[in-house]
Amino acid sequence: MSEENNNDGQNKTLDGVVDRLQKHGMSRRQALKAIVASGLGVTVSPLVSRVAWGATGPGGLPLARPGNPVTLPMNGNPIADGLKPESGTFTVFNYADYLYKSILDDFGAKYDVDVQLTTFANMDQCVTKLANNDVEVDVTEITPDRLTQVTAGKLLQPINHSYIPNLEKNVWPELHSPFYDRGSRYTVPYAIYTTGIGYRGDKISEDIPNMDNPWSIFWNAQEYAGYTGILNTPRESIGLAMLYRGKTNLNTENPDDIDQALEDLKALVEICNPQVNMTQYQTLAQGKSWLHQSWSGDPLMNVWWYLPEGQSAESIQYWKAPRGMGPIQNDCWAVPQMSQKPVLAHLWMNHILESKNAMSNFVNFTGYQPPINSITPQQLIDDGTIPKHLSTCISEPEDLGPDSLQYMTLTSEGQRMWQDAYARFVSGA
Amino acid sequence: MYPRWLWKALALPGVLWLVLLFVLPFYAVIAVAFGTVDPIFQNPVPIWNPFNWNFDNTLKILAQFLPGERYWTVFVRTTTYIAFAVSISLLIAYPVAYYISRHARRTKVLLLVLLVLPFWVSYLMRMLAWVGLLAPDGLINSFLIWSGIDDTPPNWLGGHDGTVIYALIYGYIPYMVLPLVAALDRIDNSLIEAARDLGMTARQTFFRVTLPLSKMGILGGCVIITLPMFGDYYTPNLVSSSPSTSMLGNQIYLYFHGGPQPDVGATLTVVLAIFLSILMAYYLYSVAKAQKDLQ
Amino acid sequence: MNTIVDTAPRRGLFAGILHRLIGLVRNPHGKPRALMTITWLYMIWTIVPVVVAIAFSFNAGRSISVWQGFDATRWYWGDPVHSVLHDPGLQAALWQSLKLAGLDMLIATPIGVLLALGLARWRGYGKRPANFLMLFPLITPEIVMGVSLYLVFQYVYVFIDPSTTAQVIGQVTFSISYVVIVVRGRLMSIGAQYEEAAADLGASSWDSLRLVLFPLMLPAILASMMIVFAISIDNFVIAQWLSCGAGCDTVPIKVYSATRSAPLPSINAVAAIMVYLTLGAVLLAFVLYRFLTRGERVKGQAEGGLTQMGSVDFN
Repeated sequence: MSEENNNDGQNKTLDGVVDRLQKHGMSRRQALKAIVASGLGVTVSPLVSRVAWGATGPGGLPLARPGNPVTLPMNGNPIADGLKPESGTFTVFNYADYLYKSILDDFGAKYDVDVQLTTFANMDQCVTKLANNDVEVDVTEITPDRLTQVTAGKLLQPINHSYIPNLEKNVWPELHSPFYDRGSRYTVPYAIYTTGIGYRGDKISEDIPNMDNPWSIFWNAQEYAGYTGILNTPRESIGLAMLYRGKTNLNTENPDDIDQALEDLKALVEICNPQVNMTQYQTLAQGKSWLHQSWSGDPLMNVWWYLPEGQSAESIQYWKAPRGMGPIQNDCWAVPQMSQKPVLAHLWMNHILESKNAMSNFVNFTGYQPPINSITPQQLIDDGTIPKHLSTCISEPEDLGPDSLQYMTLTSEGQRMWQDAYARFVSGA
Repeated sequence: MYPRWLWKALALPGVLWLVLLFVLPFYAVIAVAFGTVDPIFQNPVPIWNPFNWNFDNTLKILAQFLPGERYWTVFVRTTTYIAFAVSISLLIAYPVAYYISRHARRTKVLLLVLLVLPFWVSYLMRMLAWVGLLAPDGLINSFLIWSGIDDTPPNWLGGHDGTVIYALIYGYIPYMVLPLVAALDRIDNSLIEAARDLGMTARQTFFRVTLPLSKMGILGGCVIITLPMFGDYYTPNLVSSSPSTSMLGNQIYLYFHGGPQPDVGATLTVVLAIFLSILMAYYLYSVAKAQKDLQ
Repeated sequence: MNTIVDTAPRRGLFAGILHRLIGLVRNPHGKPRALMTITWLYMIWTIVPVVVAIAFSFNAGRSISVWQGFDATRWYWGDPVHSVLHDPGLQAALWQSLKLAGLDMLIATPIGVLLALGLARWRGYGKRPANFLMLFPLITPEIVMGVSLYLVFQYVYVFIDPSTTAQVIGQVTFSISYVVIVVRGRLMSIGAQYEEAAADLGASSWDSLRLVLFPLMLPAILASMMIVFAISIDNFVIAQWLSCGAGCDTVPIKVYSATRSAPLPSINAVAAIMVYLTLGAVLLAFVLYRFLTRGERVKGQAEGGLTQMGSVDFN
């Protein structure tokens, strides 16, 4: 489809929607507001359609992949250099329980502002609330797979790096100009994590790290029925089945691949009847779960916060796939367009990338590692922060190469396919 | 004595509230179910005018309710769970209600207080209680091991149909006992005495007099727990969270909060509501019929 | 609504049980022996697990399933991090629950009382549909109400976001009908004769509403307030669907998410606090009710009232 046709089609859709909304008694203003809120409005932006190539994501923006970096279009100009921080109340938008409270308090004390946290339950809610202006926040957490959507919807403002020296100074060089946001026009990284297998060393007899295909443990877990689990997100669960088959294109939109993964997942129900949830950050320690697809922060949280009295840390194990063979992802901070305190937002980004703060947030609360140069597996083991056997929970800069596996934005059809397959899996049908 | 408009005026705020926040919201579900989605965020765009409703997706979803398809499986599973839970509940609740209403004398008030007690304890608290008891290292398994009944008891919370049915029974049975007690209390004692005087044995009296007279209570008790069970998603999540025990409510919840496709969720909600309305209509029909028979 | 224990043997409830047990031993062929056993087993089965769960709030260790010794205070206020007193999340949830229940009570009761009056006395067109409409929230599965309110706030009442406000509105919506049921029952038993008498004595309609009907309805109003408080404080589904995230968590929502993962006994503690509060509210309402209806009690009414507390007639 040519660019113009594509654009035409989208305009027609838009006209149709405005028409329909008006017919149903919405004023034009309301209709437009609703459309802007739903992100439809951006399809008419010539700026957006001009950058379209190949398979495009929301708003016609190109789909970033580790091997296919994308420079996001500038949406206005960043704030000027050397502005004074604002005063008043500074609002941070984040998941609940994903930020150490002291970090917020320190920031408030440093710049003499009140800091408050507004939370969302998941990324869908975050994006919807930003798009609908349902919240008034000054800085937000965001995952790279949503960047296409939110920049297309003009929900973010570009950042001025002069306020954020810590990005160059402290952060892994690989993330100075990440593939999903060339030149870090909108984002700075927050935490980095792999998806692997968390398991109970004292309950699982297989030597998972030395198996030919460790992912296959789930398909051989008859013995552990009732004690296995899989992450309850469409991408991770279906991705697990793809990795089991040795398929490493985790952003595939090939229906055959997705169907195969679905069949494999369904087979799991007969084999080990896995629970589909996200509670592995505590249930491994407690013994409710012995084998659970996990993120790298989870085993650390198990060991740090949930280990029952008298149980050895050795009981919690984590396997991560060799470089380029398993998912590795990070999330980010960005400044929403609506921010009333953009200077403070920039200072916040700098604050969170201060090595000391990043480390404190990691070890005192979240369990998720920040991509900071001074935080290395060896150093964490040496100072006793993490047990030696859990060095697998820590990633290194080299893990983020162009062949790394990351779940990224899909086309709308692709997203529906993944979601649909996941819904089929959890229906148990 | 009072002005004629007074009572209507008093009812107005309540009626208005229910229209605006009960009827209209349900219409919103229908408008979303028969609406479209925007091409970018995949968010539903509701269609308010029935003449413009879009049935393409609905038909696709309804097709999945055909035997062998996915919602068929979920629907059959849900119905089976509920059928088991309701009939076992009835087998437990009826004798209890019968004893309380016909035999308990001095202890009747105490028993009624105990019967009502679960109403004042949160459903979630009562589930939490069983999650603790059924945990792999919980008291139930400790007892099984200690008594030698089972040396390697299963993880009851690891995705068992039986556990879900059990939890449903425990959760909803109090709602069934009370209407049964009320129905049995309403039976005129003289009818039973008359039956005995006419030479019926105790057994005959029960099956020919008491049981038929308590039929409405039985139906009412069954309906009162069946309806909320069909909308349940938290019970299977709490005691299993495995795909193999997923109920219709879990699917609805998933489409709104898990991997969001609210339009599909809305359609499933409409299907559920229609199905339950049919059940309810049948119940009301039998109530009306029974009342006619009595007259 | 009626009173609870006026026929209770004042000389001790256990004397009755003891008497039954003695009777059982003396007369093993007494008819309802099996029924009695089933009944008492049922009572034990419904109540003991909850008692056990409350007991685990006094566990010395971190488990809700393995008893590790008695500690009366650890999970209530002793533990510096996880106890109810020191966990801001649990405390916020407790306040949120109380806030929702209180607001729900204050909004739903007046609306419901007026609706009950209206429905009981309104003659002519519109009464039946209104009556029908009022019954619907009672039989609609909560998930259906949750979905509809969730969508209506998203697409129609866009000025209301998922928030405490939305949660209160949702809870009021299903509470109104309970108020109507309870108050209407009372209205039927009062009848119109008192007001007619008042009118004969020359009272204006406002006076007879205010001075005759309202005081007579007061017990039912109090009872329905208590019921609304109790169903609202235990409500999970509506509160969850209309939640704004962590800031809107109620105790049942906290219990739910903790139970799904690895709960600490502090969850049992906070749930136990809710049980204490609810039972306290019920007890208070009961005492008030007894006080207000003193002198009108007829022996034998108690059971009728009790069974009404939880069950709902469709007619």
